[in-house]
Amino acid sequence: MELFVERLLAGVTNGSIFALLALALVMVYRSTGTLNFAQGEFALFSAFFAWWLVGTGLPVWAAVIAGMLAGFLLCAAAERGLIRPVQKKSELATLIVALGLFSGLNAAVALIWGTDTKVMPSIVPNGLDDYFELFGARVYGDTVVTWVALAVVTLLMTVLFTKTELGLHMRAVADNAESAALTGVNTSRILMLGWGLAGAIGALAGSLATPLAPEQLSVTTMFPIFIGACAAALLGGLDSLAGAVIGGLIIGVVEAMVTGYVPLVGGAMQQTTAMVMIVLILVVRPNGLFGSKELERV
Amino acid sequence: MPTVTDRERTTEPRTERSPVLLAEGSRAYRIVALVIVGAITGLALIGTTLSVYRMSQVTAVMITAIAVVGLNLATGYTGLLSIGHSALFGVGAYATGILILDYAYSPLLTLPVATALGFAVGLIVGVPALRIRGLYFSLVTLALGIAFPEIIRRFDDFTGGAAGLLIRSQFLTPPSWTGLTRFERGLWLYGLSFVSLVVVMLLVRNLMRSRTGIAMRGVRDHEVAIRSNGVDVARTKVITFGLSGAITGYAGGLFAMNVGALSPDGGSFTLVKSIELITAMFIGGAGTLLGPLIGSTVTVFLPELTSTWTTGPISGVLFGVTLIVLVFFMPEGIAGRLQIVIRRFVRVVPSDHPVARRRASSTQNSGGKVTGEEPVAAGGAEHPPGPNSDDASSEGSSR
Repeated sequence: MELFVERLLAGVTNGSIFALLALALVMVYRSTGTLNFAQGEFALFSAFFAWWLVGTGLPVWAAVIAGMLAGFLLCAAAERGLIRPVQKKSELATLIVALGLFSGLNAAVALIWGTDTKVMPSIVPNGLDDYFELFGARVYGDTVVTWVALAVVTLLMTVLFTKTELGLHMRAVADNAESAALTGVNTSRILMLGWGLAGAIGALAGSLATPLAPEQLSVTTMFPIFIGACAAALLGGLDSLAGAVIGGLIIGVVEAMVTGYVPLVGGAMQQTTAMVMIVLILVVRPNGLFGSKELERV
Repeated sequence: MPTVTDRERTTEPRTERSPVLLAEGSRAYRIVALVIVGAITGLALIGTTLSVYRMSQVTAVMITAIAVVGLNLATGYTGLLSIGHSALFGVGAYATGILILDYAYSPLLTLPVATALGFAVGLIVGVPALRIRGLYFSLVTLALGIAFPEIIRRFDDFTGGAAGLLIRSQFLTPPSWTGLTRFERGLWLYGLSFVSLVVVMLLVRNLMRSRTGIAMRGVRDHEVAIRSNGVDVARTKVITFGLSGAITGYAGGLFAMNVGALSPDGGSFTLVKSIELITAMFIGGAGTLLGPLIGSTVTVFLPELTSTWTTGPISGVLFGVTLIVLVFFMPEGIAGRLQIVIRRFVRVVPSDHPVARRRASSTQNSGGKVTGEEPVAAGGAEHPPGPNSDDASSEGSSR
């Protein structure tokens, strides 16, 4: 029982990180209609920035917020300056710009901060004794922070999209940018904002993930997380925010359970098992669990 | 889609000056083709005089190019974005490696097996494409790309696991009929890769002019339209992915023969490789014949070039920047752009083209001066003037 709860909680924690980054991916998809391959590296850059700020003596929470701000500006600038000009040309060109950003940002991080592993401090105390027990399982501060962060972000996004005019505009642009522009929505600003929010959420995911990640903070930290987030976003349905959260949690828990309880595949093939399950789900539901079906007019 | 920009750009200059038409099968066409074949053979022969290091680099370019030709078939021509081709590449490489080491196959005989396995895995991965579309299908290929290194590590008694698989050079001796010694393996693989690349490109060129090829482009450009023209979309997708896997698997087999050491953890069979292949395809030009070769050349040599200017991570930054700049200035890729430029001046048309017949005499005069750039124009012929799928299929039925 203890072990089960421990595995479940570990899965939920990993899943929360996947879910946060998946939310960022969904935000971009709703704005631009493409998968942002560089989302993980945007998050990496912001996390390194936050780490650097901590080094200058800023409190960790302030550094994380500054990192989110940096992520916001970086992503919004990328949308305006790099993505939008090529978006009209072709969908595949957008993808290549994202790939260029992917390798460029990764190398930029290595260039500015070096390739050695950094230790990003946690927002809350995370010593060996800083835990409380839940059904006999130890729960550390770090993990609670990721759950809370996911809950808060999800809540804020829900409020934004359902209760504010800005959210209404964003939904309108996601649905049909041209119609939205005709009714007076400033689509240009909305697109930048969508990317910016994605960058900020990604930065939060990056900063929270690094104390938990096996590699701590290094240039390779975000790639496996990004892959998990991609899978989460697609499992949930690329245009569904709720889907991203649920997809992320499912993937985290499934990976943890497979590692724990299926000795044949064990730790060696956890990602494979998770991916195969996702593919099977997609065969039944080709647009993810909550994604909307693409309509094609002929 | 690049075809749309094609149309916009090519209609413009046509009003000013119509391009020279080069009819297939005419004498001018044959002369041009002969000169191209001569030039390619000459270049390949010059390549044999390169230093061992340079020659192995060119071999690496050609092997990557074959893999990209495979990817291009699925992604460039048919529009199925694959992030899992690293695995198909790996399937071929490990097939070759295991057959040589455990079953004492001669290296050359492993290639058909590598190709067949690539085809089989490609077919299996292609099956979900019947239901799953767009980026969701890319997730299926992503699953393959993630699974492959993990499977290699898991079944380590068979694959060597994380420690890798080492094929010692005594097993990779060139066959005796070549007259090459064990120490001339570089030259042997150079020649083998060159011949393979040429054959594979010719096969793809012919495939794209066939009914199946037209169906493939139709699936990419407008699935509903091509389906209503009587094309079996499901079959086209699955077969395309199988063929794509076969070609990439073959390239993997060559890779194993060339490198001699396989490991699941390096960049050779992980998602990094997939990204490299995709990058090469787009830089060269997705859905063009020469794109894979040009793109592979750039992706192999550009990092080296940028690292001679500077050292360390700056070269990575420069690589990313160059990639973005390339997309800004030529979103259709280098080969795609060349095609557009050349088509302003020369157009290859089928032999029964009415205008070409009338102008037959004038094309013979001007055929000679464009020979240097002709390969791309020849590649251009596989994009018929009107890129609409209905144009394409009507052209296909006339053959």
